[in-house]
Amino acid sequence: MKRPSVITATNLVKRYGTLEVVKGINFSVPAGQCFGLLGPNGAGKSTTMRMIMGLSEVSSGELEVFGESASAMSREVKAKIGLVPQESNLDPDITVLENLVAFGRYFALSKSIIDQRSKKLLDFMQLNDKKFAPVNALSGGMKRRLTIARALIGDPEMVILDEPTTGLDPQARVLIWKQLTELKKDGRTLLLTTHYMDEAQRLCDQIVVIDSGMILDQGTPDELIARHVKGFVFEVQKPNLAASPENRWEQEDIGDSVLYFVDDTAEFIADLPEEAIYLHRPANLEDVFLRLTGRKLREN
Amino acid sequence: MKMPESVYVLAVYDRQYRVFRKLLGSSLVSNVANPILFLFAFGFGMGSFIDTMSGMSYLTFVVAGMIGYSAAFAASFETSIGAFTRYFLQKNWDAILSTPVTLAELMMGEILWASVKALFSAICVLIVGWLWGGVPTSFEPLIALPIVFLGAICFSCAGLVATAYAKGYEFFSYFFTFWVTPMFVFCGVFFDIGRFPDVIQYFAWFFPMTHLVAAIRPLTAGTEVGVTAILLHTGYIIAFSVAAFWIAHRKLRQRLYD
Ligand SMILES: Nc1ncnc2c1ncn2[C@@H]1O[C@H](COP(=O)(O)OP(=O)(O)OP(=O)(O)O)[C@@H](O)[C@H]1O
Ligand SMILES: [Mg+2]
Repeated sequence: MKRPSVITATNLVKRYGTLEVVKGINFSVPAGQCFGLLGPNGAGKSTTMRMIMGLSEVSSGELEVFGESASAMSREVKAKIGLVPQESNLDPDITVLENLVAFGRYFALSKSIIDQRSKKLLDFMQLNDKKFAPVNALSGGMKRRLTIARALIGDPEMVILDEPTTGLDPQARVLIWKQLTELKKDGRTLLLTTHYMDEAQRLCDQIVVIDSGMILDQGTPDELIARHVKGFVFEVQKPNLAASPENRWEQEDIGDSVLYFVDDTAEFIADLPEEAIYLHRPANLEDVFLRLTGRKLREN
Repeated sequence: MKMPESVYVLAVYDRQYRVFRKLLGSSLVSNVANPILFLFAFGFGMGSFIDTMSGMSYLTFVVAGMIGYSAAFAASFETSIGAFTRYFLQKNWDAILSTPVTLAELMMGEILWASVKALFSAICVLIVGWLWGGVPTSFEPLIALPIVFLGAICFSCAGLVATAYAKGYEFFSYFFTFWVTPMFVFCGVFFDIGRFPDVIQYFAWFFPMTHLVAAIRPLTAGTEVGVTAILLHTGYIIAFSVAAFWIAHRKLRQRLYD
C-alpha cells in the first residue's frame, strides 16, 4: 500500500555561508508512519527539521510539507505541525497549565477547546499534579513531557520530535514511547530523531541514516539490519579469533575484540577455536548505525 | 508575507498580560512611586527656584514631561531588555514562531503590550500630577492619552530595533545612554527646548519624545491647543514608528530564520 507523503525532500541543501551542512538529500515521509532521522552529532538532523518547520531557509533543492513549499507555508499547514525542539523553550514565566493555554492561543483555538485539550494532555503526559507549578520547578523529564504536550495542543497531523528522550530516565522514556505509539495509532505522522538505537528500532517504521549532511541508507529497521549486518553478531575477544581467512566472515575490529556479522551461527561457532571467549546476540540497529557511520567521534 | 491577524497578535499580548498580572503589586508600586519621587524632586525642589516655565507653573510643565517620559521609559524597557530576554535567553520567540504566529504578529503583540503598559504608567503620572495640583485642565488630558499611546507604540518599535541588533545585554547600555537618556534630557521634559542652541534644537526634534511632549503639554497644562501642530507631531510619531518597525522586522527575520 502506497501512502501519500507528508514531507518530500528533493536534493535538499542547506548552507551556512560556504559551509554545506545538508548536502542534497532525498527522502519522503509517508503519512501515518513514524519516520526516524538518525545520524551522529552534527549530521544535520536538527537543521533538516528546522527547514521543515519553515524556520530555516532552504538553500537549494525542494522541500514540500503537506503539498506546500516549506519556505512559503500557509497558516493552515503550519497549524498541522507540532514541534518538540531539541532545546527546551518552555515559557519559564508561567505555569505548566498556562504554557499549554498560551500555546493554544498561538494556534488561535477557542477557550473551550483549549480547556478541554489541556486537561486531556496533562493526563496524557501525567503532569496533572504539576498543573500549577512554574516551569522552573519541573525536572528535566517533566519539562520534556510538557514540551510534548505543548506540541499536541493544536491536534497536529504531524509531530516533529527532535531527541524527545535525551537525558531521561528509563521510566520516563517508556512513558514517552507508549504515548508516541498512541499518537501513531491515532493516524498521526511522527518525524523523530534520537541517538538511542533501541528507541528507533522500537518506534520507527522507516529510517534514514544521515552523516555529514548526506544520506547513507534508508529503509525499514529490518531491511537495514539485513542489508548491513546479517542476522547475528559475535563479539570475540582477542587473540582467539575465527580460524578462516579474514574475507570469509564480515568483521570489524573494535580494539580488544572483533565483531563478526554472520547468518549461520552453527557454522561460525565451528570456525572458532575451542578457547575463544565470545558474546553472541541478534544484530540490531546500533550495529547498523556504527557500521554505516564508523566509530570515530564526531565534531572533533 | 501573510497579512497580520488580530487573533495572533492578541495571543502574544495575552501571554504578556498573564505574566504581568502575577507581578501586579510590584508593578503598581513602582508605577506610582516613581512619578511621585520625580514630581517631588522637580515640583517641590526645583519648583521652588523656578517660578514659571513657558508661562505655566513649573509643576504643570513637568507633569506633561513626566507623562511622556514615563511612557517612553516603560515602553523602551519592555521591548528592549524585556523582549531581548524572551527572545535570546528564554527562547520564547523560537517557540512562538513554530506555531502559526508570524514574526510580524509576534512583534505587534510585544508592541501592543508594551504600549498598554506604558499608557498605564502615564495614567499613573497623570493621576498623581492631578492630585498634586499640576493639571489645571478638566477633560483635555483625556485627549492627550491616545497621543501618549501612539508615542508608546513608537518607543516600543524603537526598542525592538535595539533588540534586533543586540548581541548581548551590554548593547542596551548604548541604547539607554544614546536613546533613552537623551529623551529625558533634550526633549522638553524638564526644560523648554527653546533655551537650547539651534543645533541642539534640531537634534531634539529628531526624537519622537520631543514631539510627544510638545503635543500633550498644552492639553494637560490648559494652554492654547494648536490642532495643526498636534497633527504634525503625531504624524511624525507615526512615521517614525513605521520606519522603526520595518527596520526591526527586517533584522529580526535575518536573525531568527537562519
Ligand atoms: N546557525 C548555524 N550557523 C552555522 N553552522 C550551523 C548553524 N546551525 C548548525 N550549524 C552546523 O550544522 C551542522 C549540523 O547541525 P545540526 O544541529 O543539524 O546537527 P544534528 O544532526 O542535529 O546534531 P545533534 O545530534 O548534535 O543534535 C553542524 O556542523 C553545526 O555546527
Ligand atoms: Mg540536533
